[in-house]
Amino acid sequence: MLQQDRWLAVALLLSLACESFAGPAQPVSQGASVNPATRFSSLAQIDRHNVGQLKLAFTFRTGRLGAQGSAPLLWGTKLLILSAFPHTLFALDLTRPNGTISWQLTPAANRVVDGLHCCDRIHLGPISNGNRVYIGTLDGHVIAVDPQHGQPVWDVAVADPALGETLASAPTLAQDRLIVGNAGDDFGARGWIAALDSNTGRTLWKRYSTGPDQDVGTRREFQPSRPEDSGIDLGTHSWPGTSWQHGGGSVSGWTLYDPTLQLLFHNTGPAAPWNPEPRPGNNLWTAGVFARDPRTGEARWFTGLHRHGLYGWRNGSANLILEHAWGGSARSLLIHPDADGRLYVMDRKTGELLAADSFLSEPRAQKTSSTAPIPRTNLQVRNICPAWVGAVGADAALDEATSWLYIPVSRLCMDLEDRSANYIQGTPFIGANVRVNSNSAARGELVAWNIVARKAVWRIPERLPIAADTLVTRGGVVFYGTLDGMLKAVDAHTGALLWQFKTAAALTGQPTTYEGPDGRQYIAVVAGASGPYGLAQQAWIDRRDATAARGLARVMANVDPPRDPSGTLYVFGLP
Amino acid sequence: MARHALSLIALLCCGCAGWQSALDTHAVQGTRLAHLIWLFVGVCAVVWVTVTVVLLLALRKKNDCPDDGPHTPAEASERRMARIVRAAAIATAGIITSLTIVSFYATRELTSAAVAALDLRVRGYQWWWEVTYLDARPDQVFITANEIHVPVGRSIHLRLAAADVIHSFWVPSLTGKQDLIPGRENTLTFTPQEVGIYRGQCAEFCGLQHAHMSLLVVVDSAADFEHWRRGQLAPAATPRGPEQETGKRLFENKACASCHNIQGSTASGTIGPDLTHLASRHYIAAGSLATNRGSIAAWLADPQTIKPGNNMPRVRLNAGELNALSAYLAALR
Amino acid sequence: MTGRIFSLVFGAVLLTACQRESRSFRLDPPIAASLEAVAPMPNGIGGAPPDSDAVLGHPYLTNAYNLNQGKQLYTWFNCKGCHADGGGVTGPSFLNGWWRYGPQAVSIFISIRDGRPRGMPAFGNHLTTEQLWQLAGYVRTIGAYSAMTAAPSRNDEMQSRPAENRAPAAIATPSDQWPATRYR
Repeated sequence: MLQQDRWLAVALLLSLACESFAGPAQPVSQGASVNPATRFSSLAQIDRHNVGQLKLAFTFRTGRLGAQGSAPLLWGTKLLILSAFPHTLFALDLTRPNGTISWQLTPAANRVVDGLHCCDRIHLGPISNGNRVYIGTLDGHVIAVDPQHGQPVWDVAVADPALGETLASAPTLAQDRLIVGNAGDDFGARGWIAALDSNTGRTLWKRYSTGPDQDVGTRREFQPSRPEDSGIDLGTHSWPGTSWQHGGGSVSGWTLYDPTLQLLFHNTGPAAPWNPEPRPGNNLWTAGVFARDPRTGEARWFTGLHRHGLYGWRNGSANLILEHAWGGSARSLLIHPDADGRLYVMDRKTGELLAADSFLSEPRAQKTSSTAPIPRTNLQVRNICPAWVGAVGADAALDEATSWLYIPVSRLCMDLEDRSANYIQGTPFIGANVRVNSNSAARGELVAWNIVARKAVWRIPERLPIAADTLVTRGGVVFYGTLDGMLKAVDAHTGALLWQFKTAAALTGQPTTYEGPDGRQYIAVVAGASGPYGLAQQAWIDRRDATAARGLARVMANVDPPRDPSGTLYVFGLP
Repeated sequence: MARHALSLIALLCCGCAGWQSALDTHAVQGTRLAHLIWLFVGVCAVVWVTVTVVLLLALRKKNDCPDDGPHTPAEASERRMARIVRAAAIATAGIITSLTIVSFYATRELTSAAVAALDLRVRGYQWWWEVTYLDARPDQVFITANEIHVPVGRSIHLRLAAADVIHSFWVPSLTGKQDLIPGRENTLTFTPQEVGIYRGQCAEFCGLQHAHMSLLVVVDSAADFEHWRRGQLAPAATPRGPEQETGKRLFENKACASCHNIQGSTASGTIGPDLTHLASRHYIAAGSLATNRGSIAAWLADPQTIKPGNNMPRVRLNAGELNALSAYLAALR
Repeated sequence: MTGRIFSLVFGAVLLTACQRESRSFRLDPPIAASLEAVAPMPNGIGGAPPDSDAVLGHPYLTNAYNLNQGKQLYTWFNCKGCHADGGGVTGPSFLNGWWRYGPQAVSIFISIRDGRPRGMPAFGNHLTTEQLWQLAGYVRTIGAYSAMTAAPSRNDEMQSRPAENRAPAAIATPSDQWPATRYR
């Protein structure tokens, strides 16, 4: 204890000295140590040999119920965490013990969006470019904050809740631009992605996921990788009438910025409504991956993964970058784990699809698409695997040293009955009744996947679906969290369980790691339910209805209710 | 007496002609069925007359037995009787078998596998018909209600679906009946042979307004059909004049937009019929009223009196709103 | 002869005893206007229902036709997207009989008509007053504590929960065990 105080004092003095030199550093998110393009941390102080000794350093209770998922961010000597909606951005002074609050900021909140977010995973930041800290709020604002004192610098509204839009992901920094995309395709909101000036918040460009080429950005620089994607205004002609105007395709997941190729990569969500019958056609440009120019928003390429999507599969899982040889030549790869249970490997420059292997232990996805009846109105189709929630429950992490991918998997199936969907602005636009179940006792799995060898190396079955992002460090440890609150550390090579800790609520957020002011490595995670599984655990859900929480209430039936549902930050360090 | 008989005959005959008559057919399948009907009527009439005549003759036959003793049948007459009965039985079996075979071939033609020129989905709701014109190109797909236009001489393929209860599609001048069953997709094919308008009716009891669930099939020439089709693909007519503009605004802001769809406005509801080209149809409310501004206004003012129990609610409108809305809707050609 | 007359009279009397439940498709305009006259409490929770509601015998809670129309409206107006079949999604469940704004039908009517601050949209512009009452009546019966004689027609959609007239709020919460076989 005493020794820690001494180190803290030294750190405090050093930080005082360092702060005077603080200036715009390289873009950081989640602390300088976790690379957002791979979710790999270069810190190695905690490794497979000593992770078993991890102890709780301190906790901080945000006291806010609701969807928690955002990762803490290290800025200087402060740890910033964003609570659930209605948000408060807390800055904890790491130089003082036990998570003392340095400042907190609570922007005004439009509570209407409590009814508008259901099934997107929430990770709204904060992120930082070293100078400023940026957060997204669920009610559609992007706010720039001065991290020294917690003053908002600018606050712009980008998403319109009246249209059913919310924000589910933090903005991404692309040099001096903030890239942000909307959530809300369950409400028929038309998907879009926009760039804001990071100094002023002014919108620089905005592109949509459906509509004419001018809106989508497929006019000037677009090179389609498939012949069926070349044509004029496919974003309207692949839809009947004007149904593209509420066709979904939200950009609710994390947008990836590649500084080498100067490109943005983002997913577009499923087409709205879930019922495919009212929207015959390929429903471009939903359910795919876009590459865009960050300066103009013009699309460079698009890879459609589920044309005329049938099952409402989410597409919010982050894309990752890998530079590796493929097929004999050096390639720039984009790694995309998808809801249908396949790992898609694409060429980042052209969008060419290089691999689409199933990472599920039983390749149900292939069986589903070829043998199950096509869903249509008033027809019940049973045992569709994976369920609408998708096979990949959260963001995967890529070990830069081995090129192994650690995928958090959810193994659920669903019974789907499509019904007539009626579009009323601001209300759900789904057109389906769904029950979710599972064919095995292990409803989740952590899969270690060798991308180059194209096969799984090891698998860890879990009783519950894994809905928290994974984190892999240079010390050879993979961290992941379960829905019953266990934060686990496993050996990255063998999958052996090295350490675990039971937190007070479900883990659906991003575990992160940082080097504190005392020079020691810490692991931090916010416990608290977000996303569809979190929704299924809320107190107002009644499991007697098999369709409650879009069918997930029964999946979460035998999970202990959280001992403390309000978001709590847990920080672990070596003793 | 003769005059009464003549008027009775005339009355009976007018049941054969018209735009909703299984005996006045204008399509390949309907004609086949009509021929089948006449064949059955003819054969059965002959049989019936024969049987009646034989019966009457039998009744008129005097009793030959002079005493009350036991009747000893004569050998010859018994053999004759047996021959007659045998012949009648064979004739009956033969007639029934041949009628069955003819009927089989006729109904088989109803579901011919000819390549269809047009693919439609007809979905039955309580108590209206939603018609979707399908196409391999999604931007050529459009939806209309209660009125089907088809080109003459081409094979039309219908996919029949139901939204709530069992209905039945029956346009007697064109083809036979086929049920619309929720959860199932039935098919029906017909080839119209003459330009004209034919009335159809729901033929399976489906609730309170089953009797007022009619539809029209308009058989056009190829050029007229193509013209109509292009018109249906276009968005709704832009409102002309302040009254129509007010009507459009009211439509989008009141309860109308939650149930009805008008392409080119913000109204995107799918519960009720698509109204994008309402005024291009001959009737409103599934055959209840002829389409004109007055009947539209009457329908808006009080749908429950015109068609009690149907799912269009009585929206409170004052006189000005009623005028504006009816002006707007009556202009949606 | 007397016996035949007697049986005829008796049969006629029997037939007149078959009284159908009355359905009103078109409310008299004064009654329709009166249904809008609810007097909510200042906090929006509870209030006085319209007088005509009591006079008509609470038709939106006890008349099967109204309940059935309410059930149709529940699907048509996307209530299922936020409330499922009464189990809740982003919106609260109705099955458990706990009501945030009170169990009175008036509160539910006001919630649907005017919306509520935490995300319930206002449907006052999308539905007529009568439809709002039909919907409120149906929602109220989802969380009923006692079995009812009037019920909407059977579910035509995928089976999700027990029927509305079986007093679901009074049924004990099912056990927390994961079902051994998949739910069918």
